[in-house]
Amino acid sequence: MSEKTEKKLVNNPGELLRKPRVIIFILALLASIAFIQPWGALGEDGRSNLNYGLDLEGGSWLQIKLQGALAQVDADPEMIVSKTVEPLIGGPIEITANTLESSGLSETENPRIVFTTTAQVSKSELELLGLGQVSVDRLSQEKTQVTLITGKEELIKNYLANSLDAEVVLVNTGEGLFYEIRTEVSEEDLKALMEKVGGSILTNEDGTPSYKEGVSTETRDLTREILNDKLNALGLKDIPVRTVGDDYILIDFAGIDLAKAKDIAEKPGKFEIRVQTEGNESMHVLYGDSIVGVGIPGFHDEQWHTPFTLSEEGGLALQKAAIETGAVSDPYSHYLEMYLDENLIYSAPLSSSAAVRLGEAPIYSWQASTGQDEEAKAQAQQLQIHLRAGALPVKVVLVGSGHVDATLGKQFKAEAVIAGLLSLFAVAFVVFRRYGRKEILVPMVGTSVSEVIMILGVAAAIGWQLDLPAIAGIIAAIGTGIDHLVIITDEVLYEGKLPSTKVFISRIGKAFAIIFGAAATTVIAMSPLVVMGFGSLKGFAITTIIGVFIGVFIARPVYGTVIKELLEASEEAPNTSEIA
Amino acid sequence: MATGLTEFLDTFVKSHDNRQLLAIPLAVLAISLIILGVSYASSGSPVPLGMEFQGGTQISMETTDSPETFENLYSDYPIQDARSAGSRVIMQFGVMDNEEQRRLEDAVTGQYSNVEIKQIGPVYGKDLQFQAIRALILSFIGMAIVVFLIFRSFVPSLAVVLSAFSDILIAAAFMRIAGIELSLGTVAALLMLIGYSVDSDILLTTRVLKRRGTAEEKITRAMQTGITMTTTTLAALLVMYVVSTFPYLVIPSFTQITLLSQISSVLLIGLAADLMNTWLLNTGILRWYVLKPEFKGRYNR
Repeated sequence: MSEKTEKKLVNNPGELLRKPRVIIFILALLASIAFIQPWGALGEDGRSNLNYGLDLEGGSWLQIKLQGALAQVDADPEMIVSKTVEPLIGGPIEITANTLESSGLSETENPRIVFTTTAQVSKSELELLGLGQVSVDRLSQEKTQVTLITGKEELIKNYLANSLDAEVVLVNTGEGLFYEIRTEVSEEDLKALMEKVGGSILTNEDGTPSYKEGVSTETRDLTREILNDKLNALGLKDIPVRTVGDDYILIDFAGIDLAKAKDIAEKPGKFEIRVQTEGNESMHVLYGDSIVGVGIPGFHDEQWHTPFTLSEEGGLALQKAAIETGAVSDPYSHYLEMYLDENLIYSAPLSSSAAVRLGEAPIYSWQASTGQDEEAKAQAQQLQIHLRAGALPVKVVLVGSGHVDATLGKQFKAEAVIAGLLSLFAVAFVVFRRYGRKEILVPMVGTSVSEVIMILGVAAAIGWQLDLPAIAGIIAAIGTGIDHLVIITDEVLYEGKLPSTKVFISRIGKAFAIIFGAAATTVIAMSPLVVMGFGSLKGFAITTIIGVFIGVFIARPVYGTVIKELLEASEEAPNTSEIA
Repeated sequence: MATGLTEFLDTFVKSHDNRQLLAIPLAVLAISLIILGVSYASSGSPVPLGMEFQGGTQISMETTDSPETFENLYSDYPIQDARSAGSRVIMQFGVMDNEEQRRLEDAVTGQYSNVEIKQIGPVYGKDLQFQAIRALILSFIGMAIVVFLIFRSFVPSLAVVLSAFSDILIAAAFMRIAGIELSLGTVAALLMLIGYSVDSDILLTTRVLKRRGTAEEKITRAMQTGITMTTTTLAALLVMYVVSTFPYLVIPSFTQITLLSQISSVLLIGLAADLMNTWLLNTGILRWYVLKPEFKGRYNR
């Protein structure tokens, strides 16, 4: 540092170095350099310890919104049962008993709804509706009695799930029990839906309806975890999946182009295995939930393979389907097909050995082979993700994306550095024009440079990514920094020359009163961005605040001390420079 | 530069009474308010909203072809605008569905190099817009509270806050006239302006209220320091603006850094406005306040 060489000019450098603020400053500076490891940039991999954001490194980002609603609703269970059952059986029903809301039930007695009808009913059909436990009794020739063992919440949940074709779960958000509807539904639509079954959206204490867009924190975090999982499975361990606000998830794909990023992120969907029956026809075997484990793609027997494991029902279902369709005896006419969101992603016959074994017992461990070449390897990796992450728990929609080519990022980085350096020269020029003394210029520029180093040091230490907004933040911090150094200088030199030590200390105090006020306004002005944390501006705000703190508490106090020493030295030897 | 400006302003302040000092900045503020008001009435927004707040897609890439070529080439897509910046063309598209978006991105990345893509959905854009406005308002209120806490005296604090308010509105009106869109970058610049612009006002007010000396002398001294502060910042911003906006004049392959260019241009105007607001508006109010007969020269001795 230029400052340290200058310090040799001081009458008594030892005294300066004993001041706690100077020691802290030097330690902070050295620690920052240790964190940044700038020599890494000259080393083999050409990188220091600083992380750069996508806009400087190249890559892409995706921001997705989780669609859903949290609401407290009420409905008439009997109406739900009628509305759900009548279209299925094609006839009216008559509710004969309803103990869902009665309090006097003994422990062994389950809450139930009983109805009778003259229409044809089948137990399995009713069970498929998912209303509860079903039992069917024939009362007479034309009259049938159906008993549903169920609960009110279960009925409402089921009603919403069927009407909206989405998953609905009950969650306790801390404010009470909510129905989490995992798809987009407006308040009006939900209200209309509830009114059809004699219900409504409940109101909060203040009279507003208990409805809010979005999903619970748990669901959001689960979605993030699944995405993370998916990316890790692809070997993309350094891709950060972050939640932004309540409803957004932001994924930064460093070094990956936008098309690939979208492929990776947008694909989750319904995974299904089917087996070919005849010609183009096929029958359902199992869904993604029957897959309990997926291995890492490997190359053996001259083929790429993706291993996966089926659950017990999955294994049995596959065996049953293979026998029923005849795949065990003639695998080449009965391919196994894998679908993701109704799209065929993989299709192959059973291997002859598997076909034989499957005739006798279910197989739980499978390998999907894809071929020999690079393309097959890529396909195996894709398959791995699809098998693993069948679907995200909640419907998502892409709300923002971006892409910067790696070469462009490098260019931005170079330009930002050039802009920073030239700005510093411009500042130095103005300062020199104003004061005309190198005893002021050198410490001032030195302080600014050391503030930048310390901000970068903090960034390296906490693994903060430097992106363009963060660089703007650094420039903002430096801008206010120079302002504050000018305040200190002018306060110290109020009469145009250095005052006595006693006056000097009170002057520094006055200068810092102004500086603290100015710094406080900057920090307060930036804090809404940190708290709200929207997008890229959060980095900008945090960098500015870190910079202001470093400047006010570490660097600027030392500047005050250093210029005093330097000015004293130069005033004792008046030939070295003129006094302005 | 700084000295000449200081002398000019100092003479100007000394030779005009408070009412005259206030007239100029208040007139500029009024004009800015009219500009923003007319814009709001005609377009529903005081400043033009950028892609980030409206939704849409911006794609830029390296090419020497003219922007018109691309308006034709991508006429199947909702292209709104194409302009060139150095060796690049920046295209602006309206909202597209996922598939259309994907086709466009594939078409561009397949053919051109050094591509930059930014896409914001309309719903998210609305959300961002709301958040940006909230951030600006909260920042401003926070700043005002800090200022009132520092000075604990109504008129001087109000002068500081009014001066900062005027800086921001003038910068916003300038954005409207120059066609600079409100983007995340320019929101950042307006926030920075809130922090920056009060620095010199705090300096002035502290010096005048808390130091000994005649008001005139203290204002002159504060002006020397304050104008040095603002000119150093302006110099740095000017360089940043030139480097980030016209880098291709030096190295042809270099690209505009839109974010830094927007931030620096808005800050340049905001800080230029701050020179006027601090040394005419704030000074005028403060000088009237400290010389009020009821203080019996408490701030002027």
